[in-house]
Amino acid sequence: MARTSRAVPAPIRRSREGRGQLGPSGREAVWGFVFVAPWIIGFLLFTIGPLIASLVFSLTDFDLVRPEAVRFVGLDNYARMVADPLVVQGLVVTARFAIIAIPVTMIASLGVALLVNSPRLFGRNLFRTLFYMPIQIPLVASTLVWIGFLNTETGWLNGLLGLAGIDGPDWLNSATWVYPALTLIGLWGIGNFMLINIAGLQSVPTELYEAARIDGAGPWSSFRRITIPMMSPILLYNLVISLITTFQYLTQAYVLTNGRGDPNNATLFINLDLFREAFVNNHMGYASAIGWLLFTIVLVMTLVLFFIARRRVYYAGGEA
Amino acid sequence: MNARRSVPKGFIGLLGVVAIIASACGSSTTSTAPSATASEAPSVAAATEAPSPSLVNITPAPIAAGPGPNGGTVVRWFIGLGAGTQPAQIGPEQAFITAFNNSQKDVYIQYEIVDNTQASNILKTEIAAGNAPDIIGPVGVEGLNLFQDQLLDLKPLIDSTGYKSNGVDQSLVDFFNSLGQNGATVGLPFAVYPSFIFYNKDLFDEAGLPTPPTKVGDPYDGKPWDLDALRTLAMKLTVDKNGKDATQAGFDPNNIVQWGFESQYMDNYNLRAESAFFGAGALQDSSGKAVIPDYMAQAAKWYNDGVWKDHFIPTANQVTSDLLSGGSEFASGNVAIDEGHTWFTCCVTPSAPKKPFKFGFAVQPTVNGKITSPLHADTFSILKTTKVPDAAFKALQAIVASGDLLTAYGAMPADQTKQQAWFDSIDAQFPGMKLDWNVAKQMLAYPDIPNHQSNVPDYSKVRSAMQAFGNAYRTTQGLDIDAELAKLQQTLQGIFDEATP
Repeated sequence: MARTSRAVPAPIRRSREGRGQLGPSGREAVWGFVFVAPWIIGFLLFTIGPLIASLVFSLTDFDLVRPEAVRFVGLDNYARMVADPLVVQGLVVTARFAIIAIPVTMIASLGVALLVNSPRLFGRNLFRTLFYMPIQIPLVASTLVWIGFLNTETGWLNGLLGLAGIDGPDWLNSATWVYPALTLIGLWGIGNFMLINIAGLQSVPTELYEAARIDGAGPWSSFRRITIPMMSPILLYNLVISLITTFQYLTQAYVLTNGRGDPNNATLFINLDLFREAFVNNHMGYASAIGWLLFTIVLVMTLVLFFIARRRVYYAGGEA
Repeated sequence: MNARRSVPKGFIGLLGVVAIIASACGSSTTSTAPSATASEAPSVAAATEAPSPSLVNITPAPIAAGPGPNGGTVVRWFIGLGAGTQPAQIGPEQAFITAFNNSQKDVYIQYEIVDNTQASNILKTEIAAGNAPDIIGPVGVEGLNLFQDQLLDLKPLIDSTGYKSNGVDQSLVDFFNSLGQNGATVGLPFAVYPSFIFYNKDLFDEAGLPTPPTKVGDPYDGKPWDLDALRTLAMKLTVDKNGKDATQAGFDPNNIVQWGFESQYMDNYNLRAESAFFGAGALQDSSGKAVIPDYMAQAAKWYNDGVWKDHFIPTANQVTSDLLSGGSEFASGNVAIDEGHTWFTCCVTPSAPKKPFKFGFAVQPTVNGKITSPLHADTFSILKTTKVPDAAFKALQAIVASGDLLTAYGAMPADQTKQQAWFDSIDAQFPGMKLDWNVAKQMLAYPDIPNHQSNVPDYSKVRSAMQAFGNAYRTTQGLDIDAELAKLQQTLQGIFDEATP
């Protein structure tokens, strides 16, 4: 990193001196910028642009179907959020779901990764493919399948529970059981995390395990003292992405409840509330303010995670 | 030295985190969400038909400023809020537009066809961006409500051109004229969808029960055809796995395999829609106070009892179960009676390998001595942002007069002179069944006015509240309906207060 930062100005200096040609590292830097330029342009146009626009919208009463009547309202939308029970409900629902779903997803994806990375498993590639496959199914379609699977009358899950003499719950219409149900649905989509975890597991030097084995460490001890620390940057990445996606949670809740947040607003995730305000109630200004609240919460939580990571995450090549 | 170096590093790190979150938050998750649809009946049909081809490919490139290829004023027609996006409909639309554009040189129709599930949001975005089309439709009453502030009052154009809705009964003209705010006329009569009883004839035959009456005033089995008769009949047609019906001792409500009554596709258990055959009334009185009309309270109790006490109406879980084809209740062949609109013929044929059953139409029962047939309607409107109202109105007249478009949309014409052709086209879809279209014609005389989709302050929120109420009684046993209705009234009052400056 330090070498690069010293090397970059050199060709510029040469250029100013009239030599006309960039050095190898200068050309490398230019090509680097050329290759990342599409992403940077896209990021500026399609992410930063709308981000700034939404900040401006959040200070207005912009209504999608009455654009001509837009007024500057200052921080009114932000003040309104504080007193809006649906926003509070959205945050509570999202937090409640995050507390259940994120650990389950993290543990399950690591567990499956360990399983399909085991040299003792016959047909590892087949199992990796099978666990990854559900990711390829559109969310709406898979959610509809899950609605059938979790149905109390003819669903397979309650049918199986019934065989064991258990009276299955009303998964989708109970304010209590809907979170486990959504978590269960989410487990179908752990393929991406599983792949990242497999990559992380394969990057752990085998010498460490061999040395530990010689020192008498068992599988659990190796897992706890080698695998987890060496995987910690990967786990942090998965955690941050899980957090962001949980706060973006929308499609499954929308499909399950026709976008209403049933039962009794138990699935009114903050992103669903935002969507409803923007595109159902047409309150784009207010929805933008909710969007900024969401952004701020995720930013703060991510910063906290990065702060904690300084002590808890081990980077083999030094701190990133 | 360290301090100097750590500040930019931390700042760059923070920027990096912000960029990552901004990028992640801008990912496609949100865009996969289905849109709130502005359509009514046609969206139901859309859900059961083949998916649209790529709509981007069939929407021609917009014409820049200036006249169209035929030298006429360009009028943009936005299709997608209701019917019109299915493959079978796009061909006739294109044919109509080509024929219209070739037939004269004053107006050139430029069409824009968008996915029904996204149409409402796309139109909102176009309006917000100052890029609104001139004509929208076909669109239902509900869709009109969503864009009420943006609709042009057609009265001056109707007066100046002397336009007449030929063949349309005056009561229907009045109905269409009632759809705008402050007396504005926002759409020309195009299609109507009265509601009535659909019954599964095979199930009636199996139970040895006579079918309900097809003429207003006729009795059922020697007794008045009213709400009580409907309840009793529905209970007799509700059967458990042991073959006992809901009127018999020993009936097992935990193992029902056939239900007597359902009101399928009534906007996700929207109380306002489900209760509409009980009567008509406003949700707000003249002083702005929220009101739960008596008929609506009566309906809420009737439905709640029907689900949990008498068991002839399926619960939400039963509706989405395999027994009722995951939400295609009537087509599953396990529901005997369905209260639905004419467009419901879209959705009565069971999926293979099940064989189609025979079905028939019957008139609505009387409730408190009166018949009410909730009415849906489709129209076309002009947006007030149009810069070419005269040209748009000329195109609008041609669109609403097109028999080919009516046939393509499967819409029952408001124009009585065109109705028989439409009845014939539906009959052709059900060979061997003699559907009594006089039922539909009779029901047109009993529309719900005010309509169950009539506009109220913050229509979308009111609709959500009504759906949440219906969902509660379909999912929760032992609800105190009076207390729930009081809560609903309070919720409505809050919505009205917030929406009214």
